[in-house]
Amino acid sequence: MTTKRTMTLNLTDAEMRVLDELSVRKDITKTAVLRQALRLYQTIDARVEKGEKLLFENEATKEKAELMLL
Amino acid sequence: MTVDVSTIYLLDVETGESVEAELRDAIEQAQLDDWQTKWQPALLTVLQELARKGVPMSQWPQSWHWNWAQKTAKVQGLLAFRGFSVVARGETQGLAQVDLTKASREPSQAGKPLVYLDYLEVAPWNRPDFGPVPRLRGVGSALITAAVALSDEEGFKGRLGLHSLPQADAFYRKIGMTDLGPDPAYQNLRYFEMTVEQARTFLEGEQDR
Repeated sequence: MTTKRTMTLNLTDAEMRVLDELSVRKDITKTAVLRQALRLYQTIDARVEKGEKLLFENEATKEKAELMLL
Repeated sequence: MTVDVSTIYLLDVETGESVEAELRDAIEQAQLDDWQTKWQPALLTVLQELARKGVPMSQWPQSWHWNWAQKTAKVQGLLAFRGFSVVARGETQGLAQVDLTKASREPSQAGKPLVYLDYLEVAPWNRPDFGPVPRLRGVGSALITAAVALSDEEGFKGRLGLHSLPQADAFYRKIGMTDLGPDPAYQNLRYFEMTVEQARTFLEGEQDR
């Protein structure tokens, strides 16, 4: 198994609440939520860096909205 | 990057003997070299034979055009993608690449993260559909086991998803995955998913083998 390092994370109550909710809803640990977030962020950032856009499409209306990454 | 190596055992189909192999949690240059210098010539021989016999291209191995060097380069350095390889008798016997950013579709676990098996291929000489006798058996199962084990390690509880090439549909049903039917958004390939319970049963079965 890959070696892992430990770090302390300071979160606000609101951030902690979201982390708790995602952990329950996605059926994964809070650590797994954060690791998943890091993977997604890196993947999206790499594609945006290459000139791609991140779009969300409403399946019913087919309306598209671009998500801006700062 | 450190590569984790586990010992697994494959079956030599001709002799019935057990063969020690390495399951590596990466696809490295040595594997890409094997793909280029050993898999490709073997595959070409098979394709030439199929063409000579007049077998229509629709019945050719559906992964014949896969380029592992490109697939690996495309995801280099990205945390979301992981590779696995099986090495035995000094050469690469199978390769797989997974994506950790996808979510489940099966109703009982919809929206929950899973390990998505993007690509899985065994060396041409191990394919049962390629010649009279495949050399080694168990390579594909070992790679699927690795993907399910990764899902478990990542806290996804063994959930696994994949789109199957038609020639592999029966295999995925046999190992207990749920067939969610053809996916119009993915060349109409059938989408299969392994639930938490199915993953547990699958891993127990693999341990008993």
